[in-house]
Amino acid sequence: MSAKPKVAFFDFACCEGCQLQIANLEEDILGLLGLVDLVEFREVMTGTAPEYDIAFIEGSITRKADEERLKDIRNRAKILVAYGQCAVTGGINKLKNLHSDMMEVRKIVYKDKAAMEHLDTYPTRAVGDVVKVDLIIPGCPINKDEFVSIVKQLALGKIPRIPDYPVCVECKLKENVCRYDEGEICLGPIARAGCGAICPSNGVACDACRGTVSNPNKQAMHEVLAKYNLTVDEIIGKINIFAVDPEVSK
Amino acid sequence: MEILKISLSDFLAHVNKKIQAGDSKQVGVVPKGSHFVFGELDEAAQLCLDYDVTILPPKKYFQPQREVLVKYAPKDASSYAMVNDCENLTLIGVHPYDLVAIHLMDRAFSEGERDENYMAKRDCSVLIGLYPTRGFEHRFSASMIDPQMPYKVADLMLIKLDDNQLALEVVSKKGKAYLEGAAVAKSDLSEAFLAQARNKVKDSQAFPLGPDKSPAYFKEKYEHPVWEKLGEKCYSCGSCVFVCPTCYCFDVRDEVELSLASGERVRYWDGCMIESFAICAGDHNFRKERGARFRHRVFRKTVTLPEKYQVMGCVGCGRCAQACTADIAGPMKVIKTMKEMN
Repeated sequence: MSAKPKVAFFDFACCEGCQLQIANLEEDILGLLGLVDLVEFREVMTGTAPEYDIAFIEGSITRKADEERLKDIRNRAKILVAYGQCAVTGGINKLKNLHSDMMEVRKIVYKDKAAMEHLDTYPTRAVGDVVKVDLIIPGCPINKDEFVSIVKQLALGKIPRIPDYPVCVECKLKENVCRYDEGEICLGPIARAGCGAICPSNGVACDACRGTVSNPNKQAMHEVLAKYNLTVDEIIGKINIFAVDPEVSK
Repeated sequence: MEILKISLSDFLAHVNKKIQAGDSKQVGVVPKGSHFVFGELDEAAQLCLDYDVTILPPKKYFQPQREVLVKYAPKDASSYAMVNDCENLTLIGVHPYDLVAIHLMDRAFSEGERDENYMAKRDCSVLIGLYPTRGFEHRFSASMIDPQMPYKVADLMLIKLDDNQLALEVVSKKGKAYLEGAAVAKSDLSEAFLAQARNKVKDSQAFPLGPDKSPAYFKEKYEHPVWEKLGEKCYSCGSCVFVCPTCYCFDVRDEVELSLASGERVRYWDGCMIESFAICAGDHNFRKERGARFRHRVFRKTVTLPEKYQVMGCVGCGRCAQACTADIAGPMKVIKTMKEMN
């Protein structure tokens, strides 16, 4: 890798909220620009480049054309990072996969305009379902501080580590009263930390917007739900919001 | 040991004077939702002397969750400078089991390789103990701690006599100095009366093994199926170890500024129940299975520390049992489950 790595940002099906997080870094933007050579980022600049040391991909893959474009980026990038939950798991875009007929999905959203050609879509796929992903930055949206830390580590040639433990860890550090003690259902015990338990710290149960830890304990989740007289069906809706892990609900 | 009496209102007035003087941070138990926490007091009226247990133990003041140990400029060894920030602190209302836990932490951080950061914070602290006035369903501390051991670290001990009166045991010079100017009176209370007042609250359960028998008992159970049986329900969420007053494991990370011109070496809380805790070089994890991690934690409290210090490594506060969503973490649960399985 050259002294300053060439960095590019791309987006697919998403709300562009994660790149907005980056554009909103304010003072840290200048620091980051000292570390990397930004060569392509549609939201904030003009210009393209033939190859990249690090390509950041936001959004999920929902069309054949997306797939071709993503593969082309992968071929030209040394390191490919999926950032934001749409890229990491498919995110809320994956809700449509609950329907088997994509035309039905188009009709629900666009009614009589559903047949418009540019609405052509297939079931949502995460970036990692289409190409090899070297690193993920989860979250809906991403955590700005975590993003800066990861770029810093990449620029220093380190292998970045993101938390692979449940949100309960950060919730305990914040000394929050457990949402279960308040009679609520919280995905904290299986959700991937890194957010600083921001929702439980503000009195709201965790929806696992950063997905699950790599080895969530499904068995324990089922038993805890049973203890609180709840069934898995009752939390499937919660799990589906961020396409956490369909395996957990089985 | 000198024993004094003070009215609750006079005690709170004295704490208020300390707050106003501002030369020592006054920390006490305050409500948080339906639970309690140790927090800085803005005024003595916030202080709660009638609580079951706090979510986190007082260790957070001596081993902070994030603590800068060294500041440096990369590639310049002459720039490395130790950081040891601490401030004067008074902790008010520490239950006996937490005092014993602090004593265990003191030993861990002072014997062998002395931890200057921890010890400096301890040296800056005044500990005011309090005998519990409220039961807690998960507590079993009477069976775990030697009743004399809290006095090894306490500077003062409070005994609540009724809603308006406190007895004060003056344990150390620091404790005596803290009371300077307080409206205290000599106590005329008999030792029998005080003993009763100290033990007003009884635990509903008792751990059957002391530090003499526990190591051998558990070592024999090393291969017992209980570890896998309870471990398979474990979320590896670390709640049990973070709320534990005798757990002190940490991770140390180097954090560099974006400019790459300066950095800090920072210590963070870590815990053996987290899956990534035992990952080392080459991504090898030497404690990969949930059951193995579960056994390791219980063994630290029932085998390793008792063998090292001749004191149980668990003080019976019951925090882990309360914090565990899967309801497996409490040592009482381990013993009960073992018995059911035999």
